[in-house]
Amino acid sequence: MTEVGKQDGVLDNVRRALGRTTTVAPVPLEDFAAPRAESDPDAVLKRFIDEVQLVRGAVHLCASNDLVPTILQIQPPEAGEIAISGSHLLSDLAVERELVANGCSVFNTAGVDHEKLVTRLAGAAAGITSVDYALAETGTLAVSSDEPAALLVSLLPPVHIAIVRRAQIFASLDEVINGLGQQALEARAGGRSVSFITGPSRTSDVELVLSIGVHGPKELHVIVVP
Amino acid sequence: MTTNLTERSHAALGDSTLQRALGKATNTFIERRREAITSVDDWEALRVRARRVKEHTINHLDHYLTQLVENVEAQKGKVFWAQTGEDVSRYIIDLARARGVTSVVKSKSMATEEIELNHALEAARIVPVETDLGEYIIQLANEKPSHIIVPAIHKTRDQISDLFEEKLGQGRPHEVADITRLARQRLRNEFLSAGMGITGANFLIAETGTLVLVENEGNIRLSTQVPKIHVAVVGIEKVIPKYSDLSVFLRLLARSGTGQKQTAYVSFLNGPRQVDREPGFEFHLILMDNGRTRILADEHMRESLYCIRCGACLNVCPVYQKIGGQAYGWIYPGPIGAVISPQLQSLEQAGELPFASSLCGACRDACPVQINLPDMLLGLRAAAKESKIDKKAGEQTMMRGYAFAARHPKLFALGGKLMRTFTRLMAKDGQVKSAPFAPLSDWTKYRDFPAPRGGSFRARWKKGTK
Repeated sequence: MTEVGKQDGVLDNVRRALGRTTTVAPVPLEDFAAPRAESDPDAVLKRFIDEVQLVRGAVHLCASNDLVPTILQIQPPEAGEIAISGSHLLSDLAVERELVANGCSVFNTAGVDHEKLVTRLAGAAAGITSVDYALAETGTLAVSSDEPAALLVSLLPPVHIAIVRRAQIFASLDEVINGLGQQALEARAGGRSVSFITGPSRTSDVELVLSIGVHGPKELHVIVVP
Repeated sequence: MTTNLTERSHAALGDSTLQRALGKATNTFIERRREAITSVDDWEALRVRARRVKEHTINHLDHYLTQLVENVEAQKGKVFWAQTGEDVSRYIIDLARARGVTSVVKSKSMATEEIELNHALEAARIVPVETDLGEYIIQLANEKPSHIIVPAIHKTRDQISDLFEEKLGQGRPHEVADITRLARQRLRNEFLSAGMGITGANFLIAETGTLVLVENEGNIRLSTQVPKIHVAVVGIEKVIPKYSDLSVFLRLLARSGTGQKQTAYVSFLNGPRQVDREPGFEFHLILMDNGRTRILADEHMRESLYCIRCGACLNVCPVYQKIGGQAYGWIYPGPIGAVISPQLQSLEQAGELPFASSLCGACRDACPVQINLPDMLLGLRAAAKESKIDKKAGEQTMMRGYAFAARHPKLFALGGKLMRTFTRLMAKDGQVKSAPFAPLSDWTKYRDFPAPRGGSFRARWKKGTK
C-alpha cells in the first residue's frame, strides 16, 4: 500500500483560496433558537404514535408484564428464530427467558464475533432491540452501538421489534440531537455509531412508487412500555 | 463528449417515454415538497440559518477541516487528503489490494460518480456493486444517473423489468414489489460477501468527527455495518461545525429532497467500530478536493459549495423538467449542475451548461440554503463569453451595437424606428416566423417573434398617452 503520510496539500490550497497563510479559529456562530417543543407528555406520546403509523410502523402500548405476550402476537414461535441485542432493558425484563419458556427459538447475540453474527442474523426471522431515544416529531427511534449488536439486530432480520420506555420519548429533534451531540463529545475516543430509524426500509426508485422493505426490515413494531 | 447539449436536448424532447417519466416525477416531487415544508413552523428561518452555517463554515473551511481530522484520527479513523479523483481511486485500490478485497459494496454517492470510481475499480479487477436500487438499475443498464436523489428517474417500470430479466436471468419481475424483492435478494449476498463498503456522506461534524449519512433503503447501514472496512469519499465542503447544527439541516434535507419529514434512516458514525473488542475493523475518510478549492478561491462562485445535494432545484427547473438529467452530459444535472460542472470540469468542457436555463429563479426559491443560482449562471455566461467559449460572434457584435446605441439617444431612436419597420415588413399575422440571418434566425428557429404594434414608448411618453 502506498505511503499516505502527511500530505495535506489540500489544506494548503484551502488556505490559499481563502487568502490566508495560517489557520485562525473563528468566533463560533451564535446558537440557533430551536422551535418550542411540546411539553405535555400525553400529547408527545400521541404525536409519536401518529408519526410512526404515518410511516407504516406499528405501535403497541402495553404493561411491562404484557411485553412477552405482545411480542408473541407479533412473532409467534413457529415464525422462526428471534435475535436479541445486548440490551439492559431486555435483560431486566427477562425477555429471553420468557420467550424460550413460550417455545421460541432465541439467538442471544452476546459475545458472538462479527462474521457469525452477520450470517446468523441474516437468517433470523425477527430482531428485538431497545432504543436510546424515541422522537415524537417524526416517529423516529435512535438505536446505538452502546447496546451491543443493536445496529445489526435492527437491520438484518425482516422484522424489527423495538422496545421503548415512555420516558425515552422526546418531543423534538433538537432535544435528541443535543443529547447525542453531548454523548459524542464525551465519548470522543470511542467508535460509537447511532442509527435513526423512521419506519421500515423503503424505496421509491421505480416510478416513485413506494415499496417497503428493500434492504432493511419490512416490518417495524414499536412496543411502548411504562 | 461526442454530442452537444442542443443535440442531446433534442433527443430527450423526442423521447415520449422519457417525457412522461420526467413529467410525473418532477410534478410528484414538487407536490410532496410543498406539503412537507408546511409541517415546520418557520421554513424560511431554517433556510436562513442553514445558509449562515454554511457561509460561516466555508469561510473558515481550513479551521473546521483541521478540527474534523483531529477528531477522526483521535478515534482511530484514517484520513487521506485527495487532490484529484485519481488520488481517491489509487488509495482505494491500494487499500483493497493490501487487504485482499475483491468485491466492494457501494451506496449511492455523487462524489464517487463524479470521479468515476467504478471504472477505476473495474480496471483494477475489483468488483464494485451499487446497492441503492436506483443506482443498481443504472449500473445494470450501464448508464449514468439522471437525478441526484433518484438516479433511475428516467426509466419506466417496464424498462426496468426488461433489464432485470435480461441481466439477472431470474425471470421477469412484473410489479414494483417484485423488482424490489429481486434486488434485495441479489444484493443481500453481495453485502455478506463484500470485503469493503464505500459510501459518501451528507455531513461531517467537525467538533466530534462524526460522519452523517441520510437514506431510505438501508443499503448505507448495510454497507457501513456489515463489511469490516468502511471507506467514505467526501468532498471537503461537507463539513459543518457542530452536532447541534444537524437539526436544522436534517429538517431541511429530507423535506427538500423527497418531501419526507425524515428519511427512514440516518446514520451517525464515529471511527471504526469495535476497535477494542474485535480486530479487523477499519474506517477511512477520504477528503476530496477535485476542483473544490478552485471554486472556493472565487468569491462570487463560493456559495455553490453550500449545496447539500437535495435535488430540489432540479425538480422545479423548467429546463430539467423537459430534458432530464442525462442530457446535461455531466454527473451533476439541473441548475446546480449547470453551476458546478463547468467549475469542477472546466468552462471549455462544460461551458454550454450555464446557457441551459431560463433564469426564472425557481431554483433559488427552492434551494434550502438559498444559493443564488441564477446569479451564478449569469456570471458563468459572462465568463464563457469573455473566454470566447461561446462562439456566437454575430450575437456579440449585435449586443455591442445595442450597447453603443443605448448610450446615444438619437441613434437609439433611429434604430428603433428601423427595427419596427423591418419586423413589420417580415411579419405574417403579427408574428415574425423566421428571421433572415443569424443570430436572429437561431432565435426564430424555435419561436415566433411578435412584431411591435403602435409607436415607440418614447413617442407615446411625449404625447402623454399611456
